[in-house]
Amino acid sequence: MKLYLKLFCLAIIVIFSGSCKKYLDVVPPDVGTLDYAFRSRDAAENYLFACYSDLQQLNDLNRSAGFTTSSEIIFPFDLPSNPIDITGFSLITGTQNAGNPGLNYWDGTNNGIGMWKSIRRCNTMLANINEPADLTATEKARWIAETKFLKAYYHYYLFRLYGPIPIIDVNLPVEASTAEVKVKRMPVNDVVNYIVGLLDQAIPDLPSTIDNPSKELGRITAPAAMAIKAEVLMTAASPLFNGNPDYANFKDKSGTLLFPAYDATKWQKAADACKAAIDACEAAGLKLNTTFLPAPNVTNLPDSLKTVLTFQNALWQNWDSNPELIWSLSSIWHGQEYCIPRMTQKANQNDGQNPAYYAVPMSTTELFYSNNGVPINEDKTWDYTGRNELRVGDDANFFYIEKGYTTVKSNFDREPRYYGSIGFDGGIWFGNGIYDAKQAHYVAARGVTSLAGPKALEKTNITGYWPKKLANYLTVYDDGFTWTDFQMPVMRMAGLYLLYAEALNEVNGPTPEAISYVDNIRARSGLAGVVSSWANYSNNPTKPTTKDGLRAIIHQERRIELCFEGQSGWDLRRWKELQGVLSVPCKGWSIYESQAVNYYRAVNVEIPVFNTRDYLWPIATNSLVINDNLVQNPFW
Amino acid sequence: MYKNFTTNICMPSGYAKKLLLIMKITTFLLFLAFMQVSAAGFSQKITYEKSDATLKQLFSEFNKQTGYNIFWSSKRINAAPKINVNFVGVPIEQALKTCLQGLDLTYKIEGKSIVIKDLPVDDQPNAPPKKITITGKVTDTLGVKITGASVVAENVRGIATSTDENGKFVLDVEPGTTLKISFIGFVDEQVVVSEDKKVYNVILREAKSQMEEVVVLAYGKKERKEAVVGSVTTIKPADLKIPASNLTDALAGSAAGIIAFQGSGQPGQDNATFFIRGVTTFGYNVNPLILIDNIELSTNDLARLQVDDIESFSILKDASATALYGARGANGVILVTTKSGKLGKPTINFRLENSISENTQSLKIADPITYMNDFNEAALGRDPTQPVPFNQDKILNTENTINKGPGYNPYVYPAVDWLKMLIKPSTTTQRADLSVSGGTPFARYYVSGSYDLDHGNLVDDPNNNNSDNVKFQNYQLRSNINLNLTKTTEAVVRFSGTFSSYAGPLTTDGTFSSDVYKIALHTSPVLFPAFFPADSANRQTQHILYGAPEALGTPYNNPYALLERGHKNSSESRMLAQLELNQNLNFITEGLAFHGIFSTNRYSYFDSNLAYNPFYYNVSSYNKANNTYVLNWLNQTPGDAEEYLQYFPGTPIISNQLYLQGNIDYSKQLHNHNISANLVFTQQQTVYSNASTLIDALPHRNLGIAGRAAYNYLGKYFTEFNFGYNGSERFSANNRYGFFPTIGVGWLVSEEKWFEPLDKIFTRFKLRASYGLVGNDAISDRRFFYASDVNLNGGASATFGTNAGYSHPGVAINNYADPNVTWETSKQLNIGLEMTLLKNLNIVAEVYNYNRYNILQQRSYIPSTSGLEAPIYANLGKANSKGLDLTLDYKQTINKDLSITGRGNFTYATDKYTSYEEPDYPEAYRHFVGQPIREGYGYIAERLFVDDAEAASSPTQIFSPTGKAPKGGDIKYRDLNGDGIIDSRDETFLGYPSVPEIVYGYGLSTQYKNFDLSAFFQGQAMVSFMIDPNEVSPFVQSTDAYIYGNTQLLQQFADNHWSPGNQNLFALYPRLGVNRDDIENNLQPSTWWLRSGAFMRLKSLEFGYTLPSNISKKLGLKNLRVYFNGLNLYTWSSFKLWDPELGSNGFAYPIQKVYNIGVNVNL
Repeated sequence: MKLYLKLFCLAIIVIFSGSCKKYLDVVPPDVGTLDYAFRSRDAAENYLFACYSDLQQLNDLNRSAGFTTSSEIIFPFDLPSNPIDITGFSLITGTQNAGNPGLNYWDGTNNGIGMWKSIRRCNTMLANINEPADLTATEKARWIAETKFLKAYYHYYLFRLYGPIPIIDVNLPVEASTAEVKVKRMPVNDVVNYIVGLLDQAIPDLPSTIDNPSKELGRITAPAAMAIKAEVLMTAASPLFNGNPDYANFKDKSGTLLFPAYDATKWQKAADACKAAIDACEAAGLKLNTTFLPAPNVTNLPDSLKTVLTFQNALWQNWDSNPELIWSLSSIWHGQEYCIPRMTQKANQNDGQNPAYYAVPMSTTELFYSNNGVPINEDKTWDYTGRNELRVGDDANFFYIEKGYTTVKSNFDREPRYYGSIGFDGGIWFGNGIYDAKQAHYVAARGVTSLAGPKALEKTNITGYWPKKLANYLTVYDDGFTWTDFQMPVMRMAGLYLLYAEALNEVNGPTPEAISYVDNIRARSGLAGVVSSWANYSNNPTKPTTKDGLRAIIHQERRIELCFEGQSGWDLRRWKELQGVLSVPCKGWSIYESQAVNYYRAVNVEIPVFNTRDYLWPIATNSLVINDNLVQNPFW
Repeated sequence: MYKNFTTNICMPSGYAKKLLLIMKITTFLLFLAFMQVSAAGFSQKITYEKSDATLKQLFSEFNKQTGYNIFWSSKRINAAPKINVNFVGVPIEQALKTCLQGLDLTYKIEGKSIVIKDLPVDDQPNAPPKKITITGKVTDTLGVKITGASVVAENVRGIATSTDENGKFVLDVEPGTTLKISFIGFVDEQVVVSEDKKVYNVILREAKSQMEEVVVLAYGKKERKEAVVGSVTTIKPADLKIPASNLTDALAGSAAGIIAFQGSGQPGQDNATFFIRGVTTFGYNVNPLILIDNIELSTNDLARLQVDDIESFSILKDASATALYGARGANGVILVTTKSGKLGKPTINFRLENSISENTQSLKIADPITYMNDFNEAALGRDPTQPVPFNQDKILNTENTINKGPGYNPYVYPAVDWLKMLIKPSTTTQRADLSVSGGTPFARYYVSGSYDLDHGNLVDDPNNNNSDNVKFQNYQLRSNINLNLTKTTEAVVRFSGTFSSYAGPLTTDGTFSSDVYKIALHTSPVLFPAFFPADSANRQTQHILYGAPEALGTPYNNPYALLERGHKNSSESRMLAQLELNQNLNFITEGLAFHGIFSTNRYSYFDSNLAYNPFYYNVSSYNKANNTYVLNWLNQTPGDAEEYLQYFPGTPIISNQLYLQGNIDYSKQLHNHNISANLVFTQQQTVYSNASTLIDALPHRNLGIAGRAAYNYLGKYFTEFNFGYNGSERFSANNRYGFFPTIGVGWLVSEEKWFEPLDKIFTRFKLRASYGLVGNDAISDRRFFYASDVNLNGGASATFGTNAGYSHPGVAINNYADPNVTWETSKQLNIGLEMTLLKNLNIVAEVYNYNRYNILQQRSYIPSTSGLEAPIYANLGKANSKGLDLTLDYKQTINKDLSITGRGNFTYATDKYTSYEEPDYPEAYRHFVGQPIREGYGYIAERLFVDDAEAASSPTQIFSPTGKAPKGGDIKYRDLNGDGIIDSRDETFLGYPSVPEIVYGYGLSTQYKNFDLSAFFQGQAMVSFMIDPNEVSPFVQSTDAYIYGNTQLLQQFADNHWSPGNQNLFALYPRLGVNRDDIENNLQPSTWWLRSGAFMRLKSLEFGYTLPSNISKKLGLKNLRVYFNGLNLYTWSSFKLWDPELGSNGFAYPIQKVYNIGVNVNL
């Protein structure tokens, strides 16, 4: 008995003491750490994708200041609940504030993406790229180039929003001291030089085309990087950042001026970069996409409609066969369901899921030229003052406007890009399940009983205009919703040509070379050249002959051609034209009225608010408290 | 005895005496023969005569004659004088005796050998002790027998017993033995057994005060109250008995030092939130450690525990009391032990209760007409261009529906009182509890079973073939068996199982029925009816034609359909097996014992959900003339509506816990010095199934050694040293082990001689103090700070390729490694005073001061530009808390029929940040340091704006990029920093903390003959809460993801809100609005919504009747008591919208008022 007890005690002591040391080492030694991300080529490729990750998030245009703050599309605000994050759309109503900024890309809040995190990822990639043993030299060079491009692009994105920003070239260690982490904002020129420098390092090692589109389409190429470099230099040369008097005295805490004085040579640099990009793109087989191949079941397609579709096709054609597309973030853009009005009974019953919220205000519809290729308020032959009078669809406009349907005069005699971009009450909507052009759908939007008319607020288009260009004609909204996807370009050839035209005009004034790039684009949509159109139809026939006149023409051309593509919000900012655009109310029709005479009375649907300070984003007040080396942007 | 005999034999004596002598001799010889049977076998006779023989000569002669080898030490026998012998046929034993007579020597025969050795000092050789059998009875001073009193022979091992159910004992002892008779709560008695007294009736005096009781301390150690130097509060289990199926709901006000409040009254989800001495850290874990029979379990396990099964309930509050739990004790410890069997015949205890419960306070909802008028006001008041939400036709016809006027139609113009339709005003609960206990000297047992049946308050609908109502059942089985394996070894085997099952409507968020309640509060009363009777087109339809709003996309928000559409069943259980071994190690050294526990338990949960997809309809056209309507089927998309049930499996959760404990205990009394010491080793592991990450799947472990050394002198001066040395898996090897020492002292002043003059007033007076460290390793929800947490397979994906066909999941950093993170530690000082005044009033008063440091906190200075993917943490924060616990106890027996007891306790706990890393705000009022923990934070509301013009000209109040600027009737905030913008820089600390600083309870109970009556009041004070405007604002969409409708209108808001017609700048509710962006200004946390959470309530009232014992005996019962009681019967508070204990969760399932009838039978 005694022996038994003694043994028992001994056993307990042995069991307990023996197990102590290892007992608390719960974590196995091979638990994944960041080192594992670079152990092999495949793991490193995964990390490269992580570097791309935030960039691809920008494919959601609701996050984009270029898309949501241009007043090309507005969003109804009084919904009980919103299907999307409406922060971006609400900014033009004056809700931006420093306490809690909207689309806060600095801190990654309010539908913004924390871009400093993206930059840190890129730096981590660059610091570890030599780790994987099985990574070949060529692939390594390409990946380094891609990461540098991404790092440059993230800096550029922040630069467009905030202007002078800190440059994060290498990562600070996690345990960095309080003083070290308090970085400073760098002057605009330094930031631009840094971005351009990174791009210059990246471009030589990037491929000129994607050889394996099924796996790599969307990865950056040399022509795309050159096009982005051109855009960066265009932005730096533009009035917002080049000698902007509003920011002339903006200094950091040590007294350094953060904005440069005007420097005309920046336009030359931009023009050179544009030309280099165009050359590289054309060498890679990129060009304007002027060929539209209708789907096999399309019948009775007239030339007029074909011109419209050719214009739209520059956006819609599948990327791997689309010669116009320089770079997009993804081969799928999500958002068509917000753009298509209800045109069938079944769609009407199925109205909850696919609300056509994206409403185009009248100011945007009026940007589009008359069928003579000049602005409607300049066209001598176009009844600008009587544009809101009623007119009935006739045989002549059969493929644009429903025959016998009463609509408004402004829908008649417009350029094909108008019919390609805008859906309106009485307008023909080719596609959506019916491919016989003679039987095409049209939009009936007057009053609550019409198919496309307002129902409850959350399924209502509040202006009576739809962004038709953002809905592929093969996408069907009927019983359910059947998507035929397309990609949203970050840069396409038309945009690059227009950048070059703009730069050339700034450098040399109106030259035939500058005008020729504009004319090529107009020609695709069936419009005559700038010079002849203005000479023949404009009440200001000499407009293309002056630098200012041609600048206005190129700016409007760019806004028309790239409408709804998330570009003009950025363009209007760099041109410092956004304040002017947003100084007029956003108008729409009286959508609840069912009689044409009542419906076609324009009402204000939204009053934009835009002040000088809104050209740049505010840094959140709290970030300024945490890092007192930062200075707030002017006027915030 | 032998001596007596030999002297007697030479004495002259009478015949009778002689006879007796002969008998004695015979007995003795027989006895000898019996005892030394082996020796007798070799016995041979000696015949030898010699004068002046030495022993040596004699022994050698004996050896010759008998063959026995005789061993001796010459040193011993050389001194012996020579003797003359004349043996004739004398047995060798006799011969040896003759030889050794008169010498201090004796002999021993072993086999063929004889050993000559020294005579034992006291005794004669081989004289067995004479034992006598005594009996006795132990009673108290009133003559009531005491069962289970221990009767122990002092200084004699193995002689002990305890009294049976009649208070009697039987014991065989030697005369002269001192017996110690003791029983908990009584003063020990000692008696000396004398030879001629066989019956000892002992009367035990009750200990000087009732406080002379045993307290259960860390690791279940029992200690006399007097000797305790730490802060420990014991709750009598009876005081926790309330008519609710949740033990935690009884905690508030029942013990000094507990801060508790209840946030919901929903069956199965009604756990109170409780803290020991308030919230003493702003770190991650603020909850006390809960130990049931030494095993760490969850709040739910505590909540489901049956009060009848509880033996003791202790709350360990200060460093000294919790030190043994070292790294886990910083937030206090709740220690519960369950009952064990007592020696005796089986005792059966049976309790049956039936309760009716109803809301303590129901929300008042405005009628449908007011709803529509105010909705119109809200919509058009914000934006006059909007279409009118409810036109006059709709309002008039709805009014007609309500009045049941001519041609009314409740389906086309519905007016639905959703709450009334779905929720019953009251519901019932049944509880039954049965226990059997008893024991033999070898084994004692306590076996109990209980069953609680709680019903929800949902209406059972005849349309449904399932029962809609919530049915929450809880079964519990418990068996505690004590086995005395040997005289020194006891094994305890405990098995317990708690099984609960839920059946009820399908819920979206798994919170049982409350979402039906919540959804009903967020559904418009006038948009659609619950269901339609079939119209002409739907005569053949098999399914219910549910109503739905025409305007809303899926999922539709018809609470009736959500209730009817399906069914959820879930089952939850914890099964525990525990083996304990108590080994007395007196054979090593007196007072040493070993105690070991092996325990394992398994928790499991699973659920299943069945539901169909309801068909929703609205009225597409209505013919007023013949009062017929045509229905329109709304959800026609294939798959959106199905008549048949679909099955949705739930996610089972299983966890397994393993616990090992070993204690070495030592205690020794040396005259006036008492020493005791313990050493405890513990290790614990929990493993979870279905862990979502590798990190969670790794076993959760901790390990510790703890020790205690206590010394007291004269039972008057006490001192104690404790330590916990704990290891935690969470920290890097450098910080893995933490050492937490404490020291405590106590002084029983009333035992001092000089105190005697005060004895009449202060029956007892004790001072104690403790100081020490305790730790907390649960500093974050993150497990391993020393290891980085990288998701190598997700978190930052990208997709490339034609049709987005090629993707990688990316890499995301969840946490950076930080090897420096370490224990959160609390430095705790506690000073206590215990006294008994005038014999009847016990007072315990304690003050404490805790300084918590190394609180883990997110580093606040890391700017976004660093680009870190996860925040960085460090042990930076410090907090201070101090307070007062006060307990009063009063007992007065007025005469034999009437007695009164009273109890009261009061807890005051305050805390504040003493160090907090935060940005260097220029505004002093934003800094945390010096502010209480969990205090409200927000804007200071001045009043409502007079009109739009004033709102426009005041400092900007836009709070988010989607918010709208305020208008007249919206809340005007104070621009604290005067910069013309109201933003986060103008927010400051508001009101009292949301956890009450004062919680108190007091009650009185009286007993008169067989009747008893008791009342208990409970309250809290110095507490604030904010009405959550996000939740209660009428007409706007709820913030809860699963609720799609608009919030109903509270009557009080309808009566008193700012409107153009009632421009009251201090109206209860500001200007109405129909969507969140419009009223964003009013949704900000501010003093506008701040309310005092103070209240006092009549927590319980109980009236009982016990059957007179003569009647119950006839019925074959020991005892029978019938009682009626009530819970939460009345509340006093300045807040009127809902029960103030709910705090900001006004739309939560209301706290219940319970009326209960119960019967308790003892067999």
